[in-house]
Amino acid sequence: MSSKKNIYPFCAIVGQEQMKKALILNVINPALGGALIRGEKGTAKSTAVRALADLLPEMKMVADCPFGCDPDDISSMCASCRQKIKAGEKLPYVFKKMRVIDLPVSATEDRVVGTLDIEHALKKGEKKFEPGILAKANRNILYVDEVNLLDDHVVDVLLDAAAMGINTVEREGVSYSHPARFILVGTMNPEEGDLRPQLLDRFGLAVDVRGEMGTENRVEVIKRRLTYENDPDAFAVSFREEQQELARRILKARDNLHQVKSSDKMLELAAKIAIELEVDGHRADITVIKTAITIAAFNGQEEVKSANLLEAAELALPHRMRRKPFEDETLEFTKIEEIVREEGGMIA
Amino acid sequence: MTREYTFPFTAVVGQEKIKRALLLNAVNPRIGGVLISGQKGTAKSTLVRGLAKLLPDMEVVELPLNVTEDRLLGTIDVEKAIASGIKSFEPGLLAEADGNILYVDEVNLLSEHIVNSLLDVAQSGVNIVEREGISHEHRSSFVLVGSMNPEEGMLSPQFLDRFGLFVEVTGEADLDDRKEIIARRLAYERSPDEFIKTYKEQGAEIAAKILGARKFFSQVEITDNIMKMAADLARQAFCQGHRADIVLVETARTMAAFAERTYISLDDLKEAAELALPHRIRQVPPYEIQEQETQETEEKTPPQQMQQPPENEESRERPDLEQTPQDSEQDLPAQQHEGRDHRGQDETAANESLQQPESSEELVEDPGKIFRVITIQTKPFERKMRKGSGKRSRTKTSSRQGRYIRYRLPQGKLKDLAFDATLRAAAMAGRGRNKDGFVRIEKSDYREKVREKRIGNTLLFVVDASGSMGANRRMKATKTAILSLLNDAYQKRDIAGLVVFRKTGAESLLGITRSVELANKKLRELPTGGKTPLPAGLALGYEILKARKVKDPDTVPVLVLVTDGRANVSLNGGDPVEEAKEVGRKIRAEGINTLVIDSEQDFITLGLAKELAEIMEAQYYKLEALQVQEIETAVRSFLQ
Repeated sequence: MSSKKNIYPFCAIVGQEQMKKALILNVINPALGGALIRGEKGTAKSTAVRALADLLPEMKMVADCPFGCDPDDISSMCASCRQKIKAGEKLPYVFKKMRVIDLPVSATEDRVVGTLDIEHALKKGEKKFEPGILAKANRNILYVDEVNLLDDHVVDVLLDAAAMGINTVEREGVSYSHPARFILVGTMNPEEGDLRPQLLDRFGLAVDVRGEMGTENRVEVIKRRLTYENDPDAFAVSFREEQQELARRILKARDNLHQVKSSDKMLELAAKIAIELEVDGHRADITVIKTAITIAAFNGQEEVKSANLLEAAELALPHRMRRKPFEDETLEFTKIEEIVREEGGMIA
Repeated sequence: MTREYTFPFTAVVGQEKIKRALLLNAVNPRIGGVLISGQKGTAKSTLVRGLAKLLPDMEVVELPLNVTEDRLLGTIDVEKAIASGIKSFEPGLLAEADGNILYVDEVNLLSEHIVNSLLDVAQSGVNIVEREGISHEHRSSFVLVGSMNPEEGMLSPQFLDRFGLFVEVTGEADLDDRKEIIARRLAYERSPDEFIKTYKEQGAEIAAKILGARKFFSQVEITDNIMKMAADLARQAFCQGHRADIVLVETARTMAAFAERTYISLDDLKEAAELALPHRIRQVPPYEIQEQETQETEEKTPPQQMQQPPENEESRERPDLEQTPQDSEQDLPAQQHEGRDHRGQDETAANESLQQPESSEELVEDPGKIFRVITIQTKPFERKMRKGSGKRSRTKTSSRQGRYIRYRLPQGKLKDLAFDATLRAAAMAGRGRNKDGFVRIEKSDYREKVREKRIGNTLLFVVDASGSMGANRRMKATKTAILSLLNDAYQKRDIAGLVVFRKTGAESLLGITRSVELANKKLRELPTGGKTPLPAGLALGYEILKARKVKDPDTVPVLVLVTDGRANVSLNGGDPVEEAKEVGRKIRAEGINTLVIDSEQDFITLGLAKELAEIMEAQYYKLEALQVQEIETAVRSFLQ
């Protein structure tokens, strides 16, 4: 799966800037809560997600741990790893790339959350937890194509785990819980049915993608694709430098994330926007500001500017505008711009 | 895995009512828990989880949505049974919850079957397990805490009643509060360790207060007067049973204990009422007058005769319009009165002056505000036995999709093995292992899964969009009603389609789709005008639902007919009304649930829709009778 050759370079994707931005920001700051990509088929959604995972350097993880725990971070470890550390054991580790775990629409609940290990039970007469997709997804990207077509009860458990960062299983004779921190990326074609607002709200960011419109860009898309298919290796080489530069920038942004300051004024602006737009609850304001911080970190800034806030609002608010199931969802972006302009002074 | 970091209870800005309700329960479990209902992203679960860290002697046991019956109730200890042949009980979540708080997030999404098991135990405080060869009984007395977003559907009244208190939450509207919320969240995420330390002291203070209140509790006196007042309050709110009275007293008493007062004040009782009554208030049964009116007219005037006048009236007006090609329709009414641009604002005036002549003009009315609809039960009308367990949106399914909730002995050919239950059965049989060391499983051990699917009904709206519906803003009311039904359908995961009949025939505006949203859009844009080909509408609806039943045998087909019943276009050249009745009989014979919403509003009613409803054995409602009075307003007026 992760063999380099088969993956289209992230930097070679033409256009789709909003989608790329949303993905990069989530990789920098997984606490943003994932991204929902809405749009037609054939708009490089899946390619972009896989390409991004491939772009990032390998991560340190505990060898043989089904959850791929980070050996240096006890707070996010599974019970077994934590126990070993507390007992003074040294955890063996390996380096692995971030993976994209697919959750197919046909997935059943037991495969998603995990279940009783049948073989073990038969052979040993003991109950053992067999990890499911959520276990595999820990520290990785969980990619749900057509998330709106997923069975409701699967979506329920999925989002529950996503929100908590923990998957708790109480089923089929097993009782188990393990870390499940993942970047949730969902795609959907709005024409095929919608996602309940409750679930929409759980996605940190949302972008709408369309096929590239300009003829020039379209031609470029085809050209690159053809070159890639002709000789993937050579194609990859031609983008190597750009790729490495982006990876460096992402890593640097990760390191600086917690140093980025956001002034009182910026918090106030985020709150004002949320009040003005009458969004439900507080997730909107919090996500806007967190996104703005991440954008600032990606730009190498030390402090959040009002322009970052505006950029963040564009990603964090579109799917939160609809307050009731049947109200039309419209993001009055000019309204946000006005607020920012009035309160925040110049848009730098 | 325990949560290493939890956002501290005391760091949550505002939400005083939830905090209050949770703390009261921590002092006095007899209050019976709390249901927190509100918008997404309002710290509901954060507060409950934060409470766990605060309490010295109580835990918060979480009941995840994926729970299966065996883990909830407890069952045979398989490992022990296989290893040593000893049959013993392995406790489930209900055992763990004893003396603690049992927390269900998204409680309205919990499986019906699990809810029933939970209710049993919550009521009695004892978990009696008689299953899989195990007979066991243990105490399970817990504080039940649930949180939910009402957009996703409500709980059954019986379940609601189980929660001692009810709190409705919204986000903070104050700018400074919101700012503070963001700032704290950021600080927490930056450095959880430090953040938690900052709030440690406040947490300890609250914990001390809880312990203090528990000690003081027995000193709070309950006078006869207070009991009488509580009973009065509950009676005025039309609460069923006596739980409301008891919860009122317990809550008020706990409040007094918190304040270290030996008596219960009137304010205590008032505050208690705000928490204990909202979800228990019942409404006076709505609308009975309407029904009678209709019946009277029916008796006086046989519908067959009465139906003539409007038909003539309409057909008299229409021929000249009908002769003009349909395309030119747009110009014609435009000349008649100031163009179509008016239709949004001016429709009432237009309708009043030009009611009948206008009936073939296309008119698009915006719907009004969505309301909560009364509960519509489809089950009692089902012909075929479906192993559903109550709530309209839940069907036990024979396919292998859906949530596994429990097991049963295989019926017919084994398709969907419930391995855990099979293994338990094998362990119970005590055959040990075979020579290769494998657990021996025989055919008699096989158990299969019972799954529950939350895919609901197939709702097909068959809507009358004829000119007569356009009069007197009838269409506005109709749209509002359908939208409200759609909203309800959304919450119950129903799928919906839309058939419209007007002018000369019926048209499927929207095939059966999961996207209730799309149905909503189509409906908003729906114009009215033209004659009433009711038989054609019904026939199309019948065909669509019949086809659907073949495609998805699990679904419960429901036809929702919205009309005033004044059919005047025939399908096969016969009498339109008779034809409609004929199709109605066919629909009934097919076992399709029907719901007739009668939009007839005129002073002289014909009752044709009602008659049709009787033929189809449909549930019949007048348009206005669909609305449920909102609980909140009822409470508010009550408390003042």
